[in-house]
Amino acid sequence: MKEIIQSPLLLTLVTIGLIYILGFSLVYLKKAYSRCLEMGITKEELKKVIKSSVVFSIVPSLSIVVGLFALISVLGVVWSWWRLSVIGSLSYESLISSSVSTALGFSSNAEMLANATGREFGVVMILMSIGMLSGFFILIPFGKKLSMSVNKTENSSTWKYVLSGTFMLCLFAVYVPVLLFGDTIQAAVMLTGLVIAVGLGILAQKSPKLRWLGDFIMAFSMIGGMISSILWTSIF
Amino acid sequence: MKKENKTTQTLDPFQAWSHKWGRFGTVIALIYMIALPFVVLTYYDAIPSFGEVINISTISILMIYIPVGISEALSYTPILGSSSYLTFITGNIMNLKLPCAVNALKITKKEANTPEGDAIASVAVAVSSIMTVCILALAALFSTWISPVFELPAVKTASNYIIPALFGSLTLGLFSSTNAGNKVVKNGIMGVVPVLIIVSILSILVRVTSGGSLFGMVGFLILFMLPVALISSRIMWKKGVIKVVDKNSTEE
Repeated sequence: MKEIIQSPLLLTLVTIGLIYILGFSLVYLKKAYSRCLEMGITKEELKKVIKSSVVFSIVPSLSIVVGLFALISVLGVVWSWWRLSVIGSLSYESLISSSVSTALGFSSNAEMLANATGREFGVVMILMSIGMLSGFFILIPFGKKLSMSVNKTENSSTWKYVLSGTFMLCLFAVYVPVLLFGDTIQAAVMLTGLVIAVGLGILAQKSPKLRWLGDFIMAFSMIGGMISSILWTSIF
Repeated sequence: MKKENKTTQTLDPFQAWSHKWGRFGTVIALIYMIALPFVVLTYYDAIPSFGEVINISTISILMIYIPVGISEALSYTPILGSSSYLTFITGNIMNLKLPCAVNALKITKKEANTPEGDAIASVAVAVSSIMTVCILALAALFSTWISPVFELPAVKTASNYIIPALFGSLTLGLFSSTNAGNKVVKNGIMGVVPVLIIVSILSILVRVTSGGSLFGMVGFLILFMLPVALISSRIMWKKGVIKVVDKNSTEE
């Protein structure tokens, strides 16, 4: 297994794949950026969006880095790096790798890394690669229809406005009670994030000097919420 | 900044490009991702048998992921519009891409799934994807030097709470974003009240009986709750509980 996870071939293929993803993102960025300008969105607004997106992405990316180091101990650097850069997500990849090690009959991740054969690592690689594909069976054939459905439905009526909001509201209606009632620390972290967001919102509105804060409310309140978890875990 | 209502009927050039070339690029990436392990394993003569990959214990793992993937596609695509392709291929949707897109829509005061909204969301998702790929590349490159920092207990704790922190920060954004654009949906939240009640009862029940949380089941829950939310929103809209009004008429 060691031979495969440290192989130059895997490293080369992963690097090519990531360059492709990077290129794909850049093409999207260029296309979307010029279309925004054409539609009358100003360069200043776009600059704000880019800046805020950068700030917004740093903290979640750093948590993905934490996950990367957790995964490295199971799957080696290259494969972990690849899996966390594409599809999937931190939680799925971490869960799938640990459940696979039990499914293969190892008592711990460390034991798997030390003793798994190349074929067993192959099982992990293949399972991780196909595990998250189901979404694409919906997205590729029906993506256009799904996103159009919100736009197109009974164009004359106002239902489309309600419909487009419902998806996001449903996410909230599921997540918020689960977080609020399921775990005290999760609830405390969520409420801390909310309080910080409200506080920053008021500050940004009240003081003209702090107006710039308005673009970073979500980013800062999320960081604040995450940091607060250290306090809450020591209390509860 | 005036919006053209009529643009919704036909696809905007960017949306059309995305549904064609974005989708094509996604398929290429998918094929590459699936082929990669097979190429490496063939080279090392380590291809496992079909039975080793698909058996009772691994099917149970896949059964967790299949509904999650389907529920993500069904619930996020209508929000992300044509930026979905890039979002799905780069992953980390709920903890990164979706909030990033919502944040961008909020800043520019655009609505999701309009031509402007799709373009803005795509800018945000693209920037975010590039950031993540770069940060992870740096982390992987310097993994031996920086790993001690990320193994600190405090850092590990904080990173476990990204989703609750995110929802705390998003809640405010959600309310302001429903006010964006030229129409305002009034009482939209009423449509998901049944979902709120059902999930609250389930969460409390599970907490009381087992002391656990439904956190790991959220993918399933969304899949089952989405039809409930859509049907009840539709009924509330028909009954006039949920109303759509012009923004100007409600502006304070």
